[in-house]
Amino acid sequence: MLQSLPYELPELVTRAPLDTHRSTVVPEWVDWNGHMNVAFYVTAFDQASGAFMRNMGLGRRYVDGKLGMTFVLETHVTYDRELKEGAPLRFTTQLLARDAKKVHLFHEMYHAEQGYLASTNETIVMNIDYETRRSGPWPVPVTERLDAIWETHKVLPKPAKAGRVMGLARR
Amino acid sequence: MIDLALGAPLDRHPATVLRDWIDWNGHMNVGYYVVAFDKATDTLCQQFGCGWEYTRDEIGMTFVLEAHVTYDREVKEGDGLRITTQILDHDAKRIHYIHMMYHATEGYLAATNELMLMNIDYKTRRSAPWPDFAMERIEKLAAAHAALPRPAQAGRLIGIKKK
Repeated sequence: MLQSLPYELPELVTRAPLDTHRSTVVPEWVDWNGHMNVAFYVTAFDQASGAFMRNMGLGRRYVDGKLGMTFVLETHVTYDRELKEGAPLRFTTQLLARDAKKVHLFHEMYHAEQGYLASTNETIVMNIDYETRRSGPWPVPVTERLDAIWETHKVLPKPAKAGRVMGLARR
Repeated sequence: MIDLALGAPLDRHPATVLRDWIDWNGHMNVGYYVVAFDKATDTLCQQFGCGWEYTRDEIGMTFVLEAHVTYDREVKEGDGLRITTQILDHDAKRIHYIHMMYHATEGYLAATNELMLMNIDYKTRRSAPWPDFAMERIEKLAAAHAALPRPAQAGRLIGIKKK
């Protein structure tokens, strides 16, 4: 386990949910239906996970410094409304759970101007040892930050769209 | 319309991991697994006449309502992939199915993608029943897939297990 990280960490944001990430629907994300393609919702959410990871102290320098990586194990997306090219996006991220090497996150994607919920993403991200490419515990400063983030996130209500199992409801 | 492939699961979708799909971790990025799976959805929809031409000819569209991905193993640039598709359920407007992505030469399971897809009216952009030609074929495919065991990755709930 890494006891420290050899770079300066950004100022910790403990506001719950985390609401710092913004994005825009770029032309490459639009498909033949004239809206953002399903896959690029996942790309956009992955960037929101990146923002959460940077707040934990795990950014590009973590990978480039050959210290470690973070891998997504599993992800669940609800597609609630369409988004068109150029639409501005705003994300919120709630920490639902964490352990020694994983975080369980819940993102919501909103149209930043019209305010509607476009999509949600529940995801599990795991810390990876750079050399072995296998799971390993978070570095110590990351665990400390995660503990501080958890203190403010743990009181948030569980989102209605978290913990979904897919199926056709019979009427 | 193309000949209906009634082998179960549907096994008509080879693919290759492109350079653009690789991220700074040196493997296929999570978003591009879904790009690859979405192309396999097109292959499925072509089976019942709701592929690219369906939208090009302004007849209808298909929208994904919900998706669940398990990332089981890494794949690298240039790797050959094989994606199979199993229909789990369907109704008048929707299909519930799961894709399995395998490394084409090494054979291992790389990822799975469970999806709910809905038929959309082209003009209103709202849900609508499958056209008759599509429903007839969906029922034949679903019947062919009915005997398959349900994959363990279907119907998963996300969470961190408490020890």
